[in-house]
Amino acid sequence: MKLLKTGRWITAVGLVLLAAVYVRALAFTPVERTQGMAQKIFYLHLPAAIWAEGAMILVGVASIFFLFLKDPRLDRFAEASAEVGLVFCTLVLTTGPIWGKPIWGTWWTWDARLTLTLLLFLMYVGYLLLRGAVTDPGLKARYAAVLGICGMCLVPFVHLSVIMFRTLHPQPIVIKPSAPSLPGEMLETLAFSFLVFTVLWVGFVIQRYGLSLVREQAEPHA
Amino acid sequence: MPENTSYMVAAYVITAVILVGYAVILYRRTLKP
Repeated sequence: MKLLKTGRWITAVGLVLLAAVYVRALAFTPVERTQGMAQKIFYLHLPAAIWAEGAMILVGVASIFFLFLKDPRLDRFAEASAEVGLVFCTLVLTTGPIWGKPIWGTWWTWDARLTLTLLLFLMYVGYLLLRGAVTDPGLKARYAAVLGICGMCLVPFVHLSVIMFRTLHPQPIVIKPSAPSLPGEMLETLAFSFLVFTVLWVGFVIQRYGLSLVREQAEPHA
Repeated sequence: MPENTSYMVAAYVITAVILVGYAVILYRRTLKP
């Protein structure tokens, strides 16, 4: 199937570019003075976090349109975006504590940003479990759409939690109203990494969408 | 070498394992949907 092949190629390109991100971040980007080498986790943590949040927003938007239009392509896209979003959210919840331990002195703390990110992760898990638990395709799509919209409503709280509450997690230094507070070379590496994570997200979603389509076509119709 | 290099290495390795692992899982699933 053409869609699956396209997705595989984009994913392969993304993984090769990920190696280039590693080389650029480790060999061609300066070491931050106070945090040392641990700061380089930032180039993986932030792009993963943007796509963990972005994927849930896309799930919610696709779900809203699905409830009005009843187009199965929207439901298929929401499912694909949720599964890939879960992968990126897992990355955030693993790289975050690994970065936190040497800088904060603890793997985990129940502050607002960390707790709400964990809630986002559980929302992804719940969304996918719900899809697996309901057998009727129409009901499954409708229930999942409602949960997807709830998940989307959580994202602004995750992002703004560092402003709304006192947290250990630093304030946004890139996605904020004023200019990013990051030196040029670090910003370029971050932008490159974000581009590569975007390529990977697109490749994964196309493959996952294609997989759902193939499965639906293989299922006998009542 | 700064003492927190091992944390950076761990994060980079885990990220590669998760992303490559998911790519392989997707590939295998799409071979036998």
